[in-house]
Amino acid sequence: MSTLRVMWHAVLLQLALSRRDPEHTLILLIAPMQTTTMLALTVTAHRPDVVANAVLAPGLIGLWVAALDYAGRIVPEDRWAGRFSPMIATPVPLGPVVAGRVAMVVLVGAAAFAESWLVAALGFGRVLAVADPALFALAVAITCLATVGTATLLSAVLVVSRARDVLQNSLGYPFYILGGILVPVTVLPGWLHPLSRVVFLSWSAELLRGSVRGDARGWPWSVAAILGLGAAAMAAGLWLTRRYVNRARREGTVGFA
Amino acid sequence: MEAAVHTSGLRRTYSRRHRDPVVALDDLTMTIGQNEIHGLLGPNGAGKTTLVQILSTVLLPSAGTARVLGHDVVADTRAVRSLVGLVLGGDRGLYDRLTARRNLRFWGALHKLDTRTARRRADALLERVGLAGRADDRVETFSRGMRQRLHLARGLLHEPRVLFLDEPTSGLDPVAAGAFRRLVLELRAEGRTFLLATHDMDEAAALCDRVTLIDRGRMLLTGDPARVGRFLGDRECVDFTHPDPALTEALALLPDVSDVERRDGTGWRVHTAGRDGTRRVLAWLLERDVLTARRGEPTLEEVYLRTVGDRGMRV
Ligand SMILES: Nc1ncnc2c1ncn2[C@@H]1O[C@H](COP(=O)(O)OP(=O)(O)O)[C@@H](O)[C@H]1O
Ligand SMILES: [Mg+2]
Repeated sequence: MSTLRVMWHAVLLQLALSRRDPEHTLILLIAPMQTTTMLALTVTAHRPDVVANAVLAPGLIGLWVAALDYAGRIVPEDRWAGRFSPMIATPVPLGPVVAGRVAMVVLVGAAAFAESWLVAALGFGRVLAVADPALFALAVAITCLATVGTATLLSAVLVVSRARDVLQNSLGYPFYILGGILVPVTVLPGWLHPLSRVVFLSWSAELLRGSVRGDARGWPWSVAAILGLGAAAMAAGLWLTRRYVNRARREGTVGFA
Repeated sequence: MEAAVHTSGLRRTYSRRHRDPVVALDDLTMTIGQNEIHGLLGPNGAGKTTLVQILSTVLLPSAGTARVLGHDVVADTRAVRSLVGLVLGGDRGLYDRLTARRNLRFWGALHKLDTRTARRRADALLERVGLAGRADDRVETFSRGMRQRLHLARGLLHEPRVLFLDEPTSGLDPVAAGAFRRLVLELRAEGRTFLLATHDMDEAAALCDRVTLIDRGRMLLTGDPARVGRFLGDRECVDFTHPDPALTEALALLPDVSDVERRDGTGWRVHTAGRDGTRRVLAWLLERDVLTARRGEPTLEEVYLRTVGDRGMRV
């Protein structure tokens, strides 16, 4: 329970920080432009069948960008600012703090779904009807949860990796492709399919599209897969975070990065 | 009574790429009694921060042991973390964009305080360190002294029995430093123990019950500030001019002389131990027709620097 409490306080901290310094909400400016681009393509190509995709993709991308952009910055920023050592000296592990802060940013990213829908409705007159609203809401919620888990893992990976910037800049498109965000996974080469199944985004994209069309077959499996992959990522992230905190204590890299 | 802090054979090295490791602490054995204000005195790079970090579980020792109120800092990290508070110097380490109150509340959560307790203690501590009127202002608008008092409040949130202060008054103006020291004395009266790392001798003398002098990770001596002051201050010196270096060689052999250094062409400074030593050295020089000798008065700072640094200047 105390872990959840710490996460909650980290959410509150991030909320306060974001209010003061809302730079990462810039992604909310990108989502409408992405929607506009994609809808323009579908409209000029006369493909009304992929409008759902054009509306959903910017939402998922917004979520992913929010996580990726912010996750790698939390720990290095605390370290540069000299907050890392007093933080380590407290009895609470660092992992839940990072997870809580990421969670707050992911919530902001989730707003891209709403933006995207509005752009389609107001800008293009395409009101995307959701056939199964309850399932859609569930899909968005668990996708957010899985994103928090994955972002916690990403944060740890980015901190331990020596090429943080390179990694951060290159983790966009591979995941959009493997996650079936831009095009459904089924149109990808067959050998990529198994790989895409371990990316929770591929299950999320499918489930979201299915709930919009109202033909989401076997959705409990998708829900289980999304939650399972998210939980596994969270567990790995917390473990890796503990590892690098201990490494910093051993190597004396607690001060500056 | 159990010692507040006890280290035994404590050693810490930092590895460096393509170079020998730095030895930051070397076989350090020391004890701090409960309710003591213990000064850790030493020049930059002496190993003060390293020791403070090991004792507050931020850093792991390379060898040796350290205990806080009987708890091993490596094996029993959890217990140690609830017993100690870490107070950093300098203006870093806080969330500058947030208010003082928000900073403290978040740190309360990191110490597992429930929301009510965290709120109550944050308010009480802000009052205590004289920041109640600025509690809802962002830390980035704070002066150095105000930040320092907020650091102290943060270190006290979980009511630790032992506090580690790392150069808390560096960069403070004298008034702010004085206010900070008064707070430390007040807190000690409540039964807390302090380890105060500083390179400021006057601060150590003004505040500490006992002082440990370290340099290059090694302990030089430990004792009450008067004794350390005597160790440092007993070193008097005599300046004189004489053209013949042979005289200084004979001088260096006297029991009262700790060493002789050349100041310029014919100018010399001889370091003596204590007032009587100085008197005997002056007499010795007079007998040899050295008429321009006079007692020099090195400042404490100079003596201190001479004792722990600048070894290369010696003859
Ligand atoms: N993280 C580190 N990596 C490598 N060397 C370090 C590190 N931290 C301190 N040192 C070195 O260890 C020695 C002791 O440093 P420190 O404990 O910071 O001393 P002080 O606080 O007394 O100035 C110095 O030589 C310093 O350069
Ligand atoms: Mg230091």
